[in-house]
Amino acid sequence: MWFAGVYVYLRPTTLEEALEALYQSRGELLAGGTDFYPSLGERLPAKPIVDITRVRELKGITRKPDLFRIGGGATWTELIKAPLPRCFDALKAAAREIGSVQIQNRGTVAGNLCNASPAADSVPALLALDAAVELASRSTVRRVALQDFILGNRKTARQADEILTAILVPRAVDDALSTFLKLGARRYLVISIAIVAVVLDIESGKIRDARVAVGSCSVRAQRLTDLEQRLRGASLSDIAELAAEQHLKPLSPIDDVRASASYRFDSALTLVRRALAQCAAKC
Amino acid sequence: MKKQLIELRVNGRPRELAVEPSKLLLETLRQDLQLTGSKRGCDDSSCGACTVLIDGVPMLSCTLLAASCEGQEITTVEGVSEHGALAAIQKAYGDWGGAQCGFCTPGFMMTVKHLLATTANPSEAEIREALSSNLCRCTGYSQMYQAIKAAIEAEQKGMDSLSQQVAK
Repeated sequence: MWFAGVYVYLRPTTLEEALEALYQSRGELLAGGTDFYPSLGERLPAKPIVDITRVRELKGITRKPDLFRIGGGATWTELIKAPLPRCFDALKAAAREIGSVQIQNRGTVAGNLCNASPAADSVPALLALDAAVELASRSTVRRVALQDFILGNRKTARQADEILTAILVPRAVDDALSTFLKLGARRYLVISIAIVAVVLDIESGKIRDARVAVGSCSVRAQRLTDLEQRLRGASLSDIAELAAEQHLKPLSPIDDVRASASYRFDSALTLVRRALAQCAAKC
Repeated sequence: MKKQLIELRVNGRPRELAVEPSKLLLETLRQDLQLTGSKRGCDDSSCGACTVLIDGVPMLSCTLLAASCEGQEITTVEGVSEHGALAAIQKAYGDWGGAQCGFCTPGFMMTVKHLLATTANPSEAEIREALSSNLCRCTGYSQMYQAIKAAIEAEQKGMDSLSQQVAK
């Protein structure tokens, strides 16, 4: 019925229809389109398009006893407006600096992950929240830690017949403090040079748990686990001083049109220190 | 490529169109409906010159398929004027030098229309944040800021004089 060698555009309204359409057409998924069209340039899409913007099951952000579920179709604006605990402050701050308001109104959180740009603004904050993604196909539903989902530049563990149905954030640190910092050539409408997200779980003036993630400084965003180890149990005073160059080992920044590798490295350390200090100051 | 029949609501009017399903909303507006106010600026969703409202929410028409907007209300700059006259914000942009070369202006109109529709009395920070979503290479934005303040004042005065008349 729908494809006989001609360009096909499908707009299913249920998840079951969407998965069937994706499987049958071997097409490409389209949600917000804010990365999809710019990457095409003047070319036409080479494959059938499965538009999932109207799929009911992908909508909304919901609170469960053990996790928050960000639907695969949830936009940045929905995230910004959602009542979420303060550990999400970093993710919300990232959302406000993604592209422009028009892009936030259309683009989805899930799309930012599936696009898998090294400079994806949401990834460090989601990594710092220990997020996982839920992937559904016609026959299976599986859960993959975000760390294992993004494999490299524009590469993810999503199979061609799978839809990212939700981002899952465990409710381990709802009341933790969090901070997001992004460095770009200007504040808005810009691709990041370095991105840092910090989550600090604090108990009586001491750090119980710390998560620090850096984006745009390696093919995929990285947690700085050595630094997190160093921070655990530390007191909040002079917290910024605890971050040192050796903690940036997981990073491998590159030279490109936006910045040199050494500038990125330097910026990352400065941003990590600044983010730690700002986050601790919220206490 | 086979065209497909779609129905769009543009500036309050239903429009039935035969378009390729791959056609962007921006191209459909400009080529099929001759609504050339919305502009193609950067082509990579970073300038805002193609901003339109979809169900009242600003979005970039260069990254939307026309077919994906079926059943939604689309508002372009051509739908901003009121009863054939310039809306207060359009007039204020002219009066205060908020528009110079004019290429980015239609996009700004949509962004500002949304701001004024959703925020009754926006603060300086709210205005500046709204303006951050579009790029302008002529004005330096300060004139736009003044124009928006002036438009809000004009609207409020209009409302005041209207309520005075009603009181009389």
